[in-house]
Amino acid sequence: MIMPRGQQLLLPANPWFIFLSLLSAQLLNMVLNMLLVGNAAWAPDFLAVVLVFWCVHQPQRVGIGVAFFFGIFNDVQHSSLLGQHALSYTVLGYCAVLIHRRLLWFKEPSQSLQVLPLFVLAHVLELSVRMLSGSLFPGWWILLAPVLEALAWPLVSVFLLAPQRRAPDPDENRPL
Amino acid sequence: MPLGTIERKPPAFFKHGMSSLSKLVVFSILSVVLMVADVRYGVTQPLRATISLLLYPMEWLSMRPQWLFDVAGRFFEGRDDAQAQVQAMTLKLQQQALRSGQVEQLALENLQLRRLLELRERLTSSTLAAEVLYDSADPFTRKVVIDKGALQGVQPSSPVMDDAGVLGQVTRVMPLVSEVTLVIDREQSIPVLNVRTGARGVAYGEAGGAPLLELRYMAANADIEVGDLLTTSGVDAIYPPGVPVAVVVKVERRAESVFARILCQPQGRVQGARHVMVLEPLGKQVPARPPYERPSTLPIKGGPR
Repeated sequence: MIMPRGQQLLLPANPWFIFLSLLSAQLLNMVLNMLLVGNAAWAPDFLAVVLVFWCVHQPQRVGIGVAFFFGIFNDVQHSSLLGQHALSYTVLGYCAVLIHRRLLWFKEPSQSLQVLPLFVLAHVLELSVRMLSGSLFPGWWILLAPVLEALAWPLVSVFLLAPQRRAPDPDENRPL
Repeated sequence: MPLGTIERKPPAFFKHGMSSLSKLVVFSILSVVLMVADVRYGVTQPLRATISLLLYPMEWLSMRPQWLFDVAGRFFEGRDDAQAQVQAMTLKLQQQALRSGQVEQLALENLQLRRLLELRERLTSSTLAAEVLYDSADPFTRKVVIDKGALQGVQPSSPVMDDAGVLGQVTRVMPLVSEVTLVIDREQSIPVLNVRTGARGVAYGEAGGAPLLELRYMAANADIEVGDLLTTSGVDAIYPPGVPVAVVVKVERRAESVFARILCQPQGRVQGARHVMVLEPLGKQVPARPPYERPSTLPIKGGPR
């Protein structure tokens, strides 16, 4: 695989870590909902960010199917239309797999600028599905959600790549 | 190699599985089918109930921070008490001020609970006390989730109220929790009675998204004033009659419209209710409609002989 000059070789990702990170993103969403923001339209969806992250970094393991099933679970938790998040996450997964080869050649800030249209697309899809089914318009604050998700991208990248950046042969002087 | 630097076995050379595009198409069609099944046919309830049960541990876990805050708050309050007993009189004064604040809060809570009890005596339908867990995360609707479900005997379409008035209606029952659609939701409607004039009407959630109700289809010259109390009328066989629903806050009579635009403030605490009551729908108690008797056919004059 051709890599950008000077990029660190990463260790393989642990499948359990991938699964647990997706679960904890869902948990984080739920805690945010229950404790802080209620049903605010601008609340960022961290599960979408983590899903796009793994679709970009590990397209062999996390792809459109995983995104679809997490979407179904999210629909039940949100008590929204069944299939609404499933559809938007499916499209997110597809777009992430489309851009995954190009995206990793950029630094994190420019990456977040490039994933912004994906999150916008996902939110537009959800909004249009709900408008078609005759729901309430949640207000213009919904425009803030994809921006917050794109801003979370660099942070999520640092957190989720940390275990893969460990040294392959740790010793006493270099435990990490 | 301690951490295993080889990724995994190399990917299959010829067998690639489905392409991304076909996966996209398949899963998109599947989601659209699910949405149609959910909205049009309502057949997805078993799937929802199953997934909701699977999700319950996570929900329990995500409610722990709140619980932890409560416990930590109690712990630090207790330590403050102990310190205050040891310290001098100046601190004691401060603590008494704190206490008086708490007494007021407890008195308020007591008052609310007493009102709830009184309300239960007045109504004939059987009740179930419940606690609101959280607002549903969906920004497109106005729903809350309560901590009683099908296992505790909650039935769909049961009215839900707090001590001040009607809060909403149970619209979906899961095994351990239920979803209550608030009266301010756009798709929720409730038959009401104007206490001052006796006029009946139907109140809907306000379409603009504000936490208000709209009394629709009242003629522009109808006798309605700001401050009128609307209660449930009881004609729907769901809500018990005479429970406060809303108070009229704005009446707009426009020349170009046959109907007045009437906005009402809900009486139940639709934002921030904690203790609620789930009532049994009255339809179970109302006697069934008598069987329809086909009128005996009269012999038609000049009919066939």
